[in-house]
This record gives sequence, structure tokens and C-alpha cells, in this order.
Amino acid sequence: MSRAQLLLAFALLLGASPARAQPTEDAVKAAFLPRFARYVAWPAPALPTAGAPFQLCLIGRDPFGRLLDQAAASELIDGHSVAVRRIPSAGQAAGCHLAFVHGAAPTDTARLLLALRAQPVLTVTDGRAGPQRGMIHFTIVGGRVRFFIDEAAAAERGLSISSRLLALAAGVRQRR
Amino acid sequence: MKTRRFAFLLLGSAFAAGSGAKAAAQDAPTTAPIPASQDLSQLSIEELAQLPVRSASKREEPLSAAPTALFVITGDDIVGSAADSLPEALRLAPNLNVQQVNGHEYAVSARGFNSIETANKLLVLMDGRSIYSTLHSGVFWDLRTPMLEDIAQIEVISGPGGTLYGPNAVNGVINITSRDAGETLGGLVRGTAGTFEQSAAARYGFPLGGAGALRVYANWFNFDQHPPAAIGPVLDDRFHGWRAGFRGDFATDRDHFTLQGDIFDNAIETLPEDGNEGHNILGRWTRELSGTSSFQFQAYYDYVERRYLLTFDSLERVDAEAQLNLRVGAHDIVIGGGVRTTRDEFINNLNAFQLNPQSRRLWVYNGFVQDRFALTPTLSLTAGIKAEDTSFTGIELLPNVRLAWRPDERTLLWAAVSRAVRTPSRIDRQLEFPPLLTGGSFQSEKLVAFEAGYRGQPTRRTTLSVSAFFNAYDDIRTTEFQPGGGLPIQLMNGLEGHTYGVEAWSVTQLTPWLRVNLGLSALWKRFHEKPGHADLAQRDALGHDPHLQLFLRAELNPVEWLRLNLGLRRIGALDAVAGAPRSGAYVEADANLTYRLSETLELFVAGNNLLHETHLESNDVQRVRLAQRSVHFGTRLRF
Repeated sequence: MSRAQLLLAFALLLGASPARAQPTEDAVKAAFLPRFARYVAWPAPALPTAGAPFQLCLIGRDPFGRLLDQAAASELIDGHSVAVRRIPSAGQAAGCHLAFVHGAAPTDTARLLLALRAQPVLTVTDGRAGPQRGMIHFTIVGGRVRFFIDEAAAAERGLSISSRLLALAAGVRQRR
Repeated sequence: MKTRRFAFLLLGSAFAAGSGAKAAAQDAPTTAPIPASQDLSQLSIEELAQLPVRSASKREEPLSAAPTALFVITGDDIVGSAADSLPEALRLAPNLNVQQVNGHEYAVSARGFNSIETANKLLVLMDGRSIYSTLHSGVFWDLRTPMLEDIAQIEVISGPGGTLYGPNAVNGVINITSRDAGETLGGLVRGTAGTFEQSAAARYGFPLGGAGALRVYANWFNFDQHPPAAIGPVLDDRFHGWRAGFRGDFATDRDHFTLQGDIFDNAIETLPEDGNEGHNILGRWTRELSGTSSFQFQAYYDYVERRYLLTFDSLERVDAEAQLNLRVGAHDIVIGGGVRTTRDEFINNLNAFQLNPQSRRLWVYNGFVQDRFALTPTLSLTAGIKAEDTSFTGIELLPNVRLAWRPDERTLLWAAVSRAVRTPSRIDRQLEFPPLLTGGSFQSEKLVAFEAGYRGQPTRRTTLSVSAFFNAYDDIRTTEFQPGGGLPIQLMNGLEGHTYGVEAWSVTQLTPWLRVNLGLSALWKRFHEKPGHADLAQRDALGHDPHLQLFLRAELNPVEWLRLNLGLRRIGALDAVAGAPRSGAYVEADANLTYRLSETLELFVAGNNLLHETHLESNDVQRVRLAQRSVHFGTRLRF
């Protein structure tokens, strides 16, 4: 049996399947992050001034690298661009609108989240980093990136989340 | 026979397809609805949420900076491998020795002392539940049949676990954690069938309110009997049973609650009544107290019973533990404590060996404190001490000191000195065979371990871990006549000696679709009887270990819909046993080929022990059967 025949037999055996390149989990999460700004309303004092960008802060580890910079570069929300800031601790988080929080260990993530509690910042966490949840918590459902939304925690910080985003959530903790 | 040929055809074609399909993928038109590149900026947020993704391997994240010999098996590694049971999955860790003794029994150990009766220096945790038996301080793996798809990861630490893990972490820790319920939403159904084994499993997970999620699962398995070995008994070892359970997770921004439980029942066809059953329930609460501290409390109840060859053995365990994490300046402090009580019963109708008393309640209390502090920005010192108080031996102190140097993000050098003890089991203290054997005053077996290691990324594509150890043991178990000679014989602490060795493993991402893992573990043992001691058991307590283990694993993912995992292992000859032929070195292979038919459906074929019809992995004269070649086909449906 030649190699071509083998390949053919193999293709027949398994049925033809489109060989398409699926994006990685991280690429999709990176695409979501700047997009969230579109579906969240901040209290007026916290909004960026005219011409200033929304600040998307990565606190702790950065699992995305260039993926996030690319995703943020193509985003424009009501005339505001999205700037990515990478900071090591919550102490430098003044001015952040969105914060992706990923500590070296789950307890670090929890510490960072607590340190952000006084600010009107949309906190985002990843199920892969541990069980601690920000207002948006990435998870994987059926091979797709989805998220939990803690609408109650967002409301406490004066943030309101659009129903379009809530409709996509795997679960929502509703505001009281 | 037909099945086997078919499997080889499949595997052979996969090799051929590997290179060809790669080229084909590049030629494929880019008109597919989903962009081939990772630029997703044109998609709506709804489209993003519907996009199937290639799962990230947890291993791509740097391992925690823990200064120990730590190997992590991810859930993804397990599902991609040929493993069909928990102990088979443990073969993925090069710092463990896994011996299949027969259809339902395995012996698993790190750094020596392996065999069913002597692998008693390991702490094994399943979602925080300690599962070693107080009967002999070993683990009955046939009580542990989790649904493999729900395992998040298995941490395997060789060497004393340090202060934070519970009792019995002398030679190693195996920490098995299942996925958060929020990570297992949706349904999964799996079925496998082969000439020798079959399984079925189902799980469904759903959100519970906005802050929680719950999953329920059930699985069933059957392993047919193994061929008899020349040295073992000819008893039917067919093993089949089921297990079911649930896990719920509820999180707010300060609290995380977990509640989970399992129930199982299985049968071993040796005698009509043989088999195991049990159930457990665990609750855990984690609260963030302030920006720099957190508190965790967990409690569980676990009951198992075993019937095997006219013996009945049950164990009920209740455990509660609490832990406080604090950061004070440059210090990361962990303080904790716990209490565990067990009630066991052992009834033997097979022979005259009895435990006296037949049933007993035991207590273990422990308290610990650990401080990790930065000496310089790159150098940190961890010092901890644990005090353990057991019903048999009173208070034992277990200190350890670890030094970690991280000159850069890609390099960790570490060294550690620890003291660990194995406190006596029920058998050690209270096994009797009047008038020949009487219970005695067996004391804890003691270890002082010296370790050093490197973990890092020597090149951009390679991660490497190397660790070396020198373990000094004292008071290892012997079986001896009364001082001065004569009956009854007694279990005593007559051996001392040391082991030393090296463990190393690497992962190399050769191309985007090919990853190669190499592993090695080498062990030397030197023991002698202390003055005045003569061991009638001929040093049986030292176990039977290979001097050298070598592992090679290749993971191929040439196209998104095809995944091939090939493993090769060479396990050295075991230490000789008096009265049994020496089981020699063996080389074996396993493989898993998974084909993703669609986003919801995958088919796989997996084979274990592919190189030989049968081989011998253990020299346990009372129990051993041959490990055999086994191929099974399976399918997984996710929805």
C-alpha cells in the first residue's frame, strides 16, 4: 500500500473533516477583554475624559502577550480607544476601567481582587487561575469560552452591565 | 486478534497522516466561516461566545515556585493518554513507580519501598480527602475509581511534602483535584469497549443561580481477568463496579464554598462476596479576610469497606481542618491545624492473623506553622514545623527548611532539609497470630531527607526539572524474635540505612504540533540491621523497586481534529524477593489516537502494553497476575 493510498483509506475511514485552525482559548479570552468595555456603563466620574482611552489593566501574570495588544488596538468605543497597562500590583490600579486579575496563586488573585474593591473597576478573572471570581469569570463550556457574571458585585461598584452581555453568561448573580 | 490488527492499521495511518495533513492544512482555503488566524476582531461578542477553542494546557503556565520535586499531570494529559483508571494515569508521572499487581490491585510509591504491603510512606489526597488506610498505611487503589474527565490535575511531589500536607507525607504526596463545578457545565457521555475492558460514564453540570454551579456524574467499568503468572495464585481477578457523585461550587467575591460527595460499589470475582463499597462527603469554605489574609475550613466524612478472600475490613474517617494565610511585611505565614478520627474493623476468616482489638478508634491531631520570607529579591527561605499527636506514638515534631533562589523568571534552584515520620499503622502495632506473633511497641519510622533541585526553561521550547535526594532512614520495620530469642515474634524497628537518587523530566515543544516529554528516575538503596536486630522477614519492608525508570512520551496534534499520544517506558528489574523469581526489566508502550468528528463528538482508540502479549510488573508471590496487552475503542459526546 502506497502512502497516498494509506492516506486515502484513512480519510475515508474517518470521514472528511474541514481542517480549520481553531483559535486558542487565550486568543478568544484576549478578544473578549477589550470588548467588555462596550457592554458596561461606568459612573460618570470614572469615565475617561474626551480623547483619553479606556484603560485595560493586567494585574499579576499576563497569559496573553501580543494577543491582547492586537485585540485592544482594533477596539474603539464612543471615540475612546482601549489602552493595555500591565501592572504588578493593585497599588498602581488607579485609573483602570477593566482589570484582568491573575495572581501567581489563587490566594494572590483573591488578595488582588480585595485590593480593588474600593474602585469602580470591572474585574475579570479566569477559571484556570483558580476559583476566585471577579465580576466576570471566564470558564469553558462545551469547548467554548464563556463566563459567569456577578451583576451584584458590579452594581455595588456603580457599574451596570448590559443585557446583551448578561444574555451570554453561563450564569448570573443578580443584583438585589 | 482482529481488533489488534485494526488498531495497528489505525496507528500506522496516523503516522503517515501526521506529515501529510500538516501540508494539507496550509493549502486549505481560508473561506471557512471562522478565521484561520487568531485575529478575532471582526467577530461579534455573540460569535466569540460560540467559537470552539483549542484548550490551553495548564502546563503552559509556569509551575508554582514551590521548592519541591513537583510533577503535574493535567486533566488534559489524562484524557489524551491511554489511561483507563486512576493508577494507570499515575504512570504519566516519572517520579512515581506504578506496579500493576493484578486486575484490581496496584502498588504505587515514590523514592522506593514499593509493593502492596510496603508502599506505606505516601500521602494521597483526593479533593482534600486523605485516602491512605490506617490498616497498613498504604492505599487501596481499587477503592478509587473517579471519572477521569473530571480530574483537573494531579500534583505528584516526590520527597517529604513539607509542613502543609497532612500525615504520612514521608516519601511523597499525590494530590488529586477535580474540576470546579463551574468548569464542567454541560453534558458529557463516554463509552469504551475492548476485548478486555469496557466502561460507560456520564456527567451533567449546570449553573445554580448566578454564583454557583453543580455537576452530577456516574460511571461504570469492567476489567476482565488477567492471565495467571508463574508465581501468583490462580484466582479470578475480574473487577467491575460503579461510582456516582456530585460537586457544587458557589463563589462570591469573598467566599468560595464547595460541597461534594461520592458513592461507589464494586466487585472482585475471586469469591462471590468480594468487593468494595463506600461513600464520602466533603465541605470546604474559603474566605478572604482582608487584602492580605485568607481563611479556609474543610471537613469530611469518608467510609469504605472491603471484602476480600474471607477478610472484612472497614474504615470510617471524620476529619476537620482549618488554615489561615497571612502576609505580614515580607513574610507569608501559614498557620493551621486539624483533627482526624478513624474507626476501623478488621475481621479475618482466612487465617489466624488478627488485629487485637478487632475494632479501634484512633485520633490524629496536628498543628503547623510555616513562614516564607524573602531574604533578597531573588532568594527566599521557607521554614516550617508541624506537630503531630497520634494515638499510638504521642507527639512528633516535623520541621523543614527550604531555600529557593530565582535569579530570573526562567530559573529556580532549590534545596531542602526535612524530617518526616511514618506513624504506626494498626498492623504495625496490633497484628497477632497467637502464639507465634504478638503485637508490640512498634515506633514511628523516621526520615531525614536532603534534597536539591533545578527547575526552569533552559531554552525557549524546553522546560526541565532535575532533583537529587539523599534520604536517611531509621527504625524501619523488621520482624524479630523476642530479645534473647524465642517466640512470639514481634514487629520491631530494626533497620536503618539510606537511599539516594535522581529524578529528571523535560518537556520540549519541538514544533507547534509535536511535544516530546522525557523522564528518568534512578534509585539506590543501602540498608542494614541495627546491632542486636535480626530481620526474619529478610528486609521485606524495604519493598521491591526498579533501580532505573525511563520514560518517553510524544504528543502529536498535527491538525485540530486529530491527536495522537504515544508513550514508551522502560522499568528496571525489581529487587529480588526470596522464594520468587526475579521479575526482570520490561519495555512497554501505550498509545491513544483521538479523532474529533465534530465539536461535540470524538472517537478514540487506546492501547496499553502494546509491545508484548503479557509481562510481569510485580513480584508479589501472594497476589501477582500478568499485565496484558489491551486495546479499547471509545467515544465521547459533549453537549
